[in-house]
Amino acid sequence: MSAEGGHAAGSHERSHPTVRQYVLIGLLLTVITIVELAASYTPGLGVLLIPILMVLSGIKFVIVVAYFMHLRFEKALLTRLFVFGFVLAGAILISLLALFWGDPAVINR
Amino acid sequence: MAQAAHAAEAPHSSTGIDSRKVLMWIFLASECLFFGSLIATYLVFKGDIPLPAPGFIEAHMHDGVVTGWFPTDRVVDGVEYAGVLNIPVTSASTFVLLMSSVAMVLAVYGAQNGRLKMMKIWLLATLLLGIIFLGFQVFEFHEFGAEGLNLATNQFGASFFVLTGFHGAHVTVGVLMLGSMLLASMRRTGLGPEAGFHVETIGLYWHFVDIVWIVIFTVVYLVPA
Repeated sequence: MSAEGGHAAGSHERSHPTVRQYVLIGLLLTVITIVELAASYTPGLGVLLIPILMVLSGIKFVIVVAYFMHLRFEKALLTRLFVFGFVLAGAILISLLALFWGDPAVINR
Repeated sequence: MAQAAHAAEAPHSSTGIDSRKVLMWIFLASECLFFGSLIATYLVFKGDIPLPAPGFIEAHMHDGVVTGWFPTDRVVDGVEYAGVLNIPVTSASTFVLLMSSVAMVLAVYGAQNGRLKMMKIWLLATLLLGIIFLGFQVFEFHEFGAEGLNLATNQFGASFFVLTGFHGAHVTVGVLMLGSMLLASMRRTGLGPEAGFHVETIGLYWHFVDIVWIVIFTVVYLVPA
C-alpha cells in the first residue's frame, strides 16, 4: 500500500481540504479564540457570557473534529462511535453536577 | 488485475474501514468519558470554594492580599484574594496548541500525498509547539506553587491540577510519539508503505488533545466561577 493507497484505504467519501484551506481553518480557530477572550473581558455581558463562550468553544471543537480529524470525510460509523462517547461524557458531566453541585458535604470535605 | 490491486489495498474489515483506525476512534471516545469526569469534578469544586483557615491567610498574605486560594480575584469578609489563573499566559499557550494542530494536519497532508519533506518539517513543528505548550504548563504550575496552591491546598487546587496535569500527561505522550515518528522517518526506509496511515493515526490523537484543551480553556479559564 502506497502513501496514496493508505489515504484511499481510509474510505473517504469527499475530497480533503487543501493546504490553503487548512491554514484558513487555523486562522478561523485563532479568530474565534480571540473573540472568546474578548468576550470574557467584556463587562456587562452578564448571564449571556457563559452561553456565548460555550457556543464559541463548541464551534472550535466541531471544526477541529470535522476538518483536522477528517471525521467529515470518513464513513458515518466513526462519527457514531465518537458521538456516542461524547454524549456519554456529557451525560456523566450533567449527572455529576446535578448530584454534587453546591453540596456542602462535598465542598467542605 | 485492477480488481486484484483494489483487493490488496482494501482494509481487512467488514466495516470497510481499517480496524486500527476504528480502534483509535473507540479509544478517543473512551477518553471523552475520562476527561468529561475530570471536568465535572473541577466544576463541582469551582462552584463553591470554602474560605481558607486563618493559618493559610497569615502564611500567604502579601501586601494585604492573600494568594493561592481562589481561581479569580475576589474580596470576602473584607479580605482581598488575588486569583491564581493567568489568562493572558494561558491564551498564549492555547494559541500554541491550536497552531500545533495546524502543523499536525499539514504533516498528515504531506504523508498522505507522498511529500515526505513536508511531512518531516511539519512533524518537527508540531513537536516543538507541543514542547512549548508543556513549557507554559510547567511555568504555570510553578507559579501556582509559589503562590501557595498545590494538590493539597483545597478542592479547587486538587481538581485543577488533576485535570490540567492529566491533559499535560497526554500532551507529553503525544510529544514522545511525534518524536519517535520523526526519528523513524529519518531511517533509510522511512515510515514504510503506510506512512500516511501512521501519521494520520498519531494526528488523530494530537487533535484530540487539542479539542480537550479547547474545552478546558473555556471551562477552567474563561467561564467565571
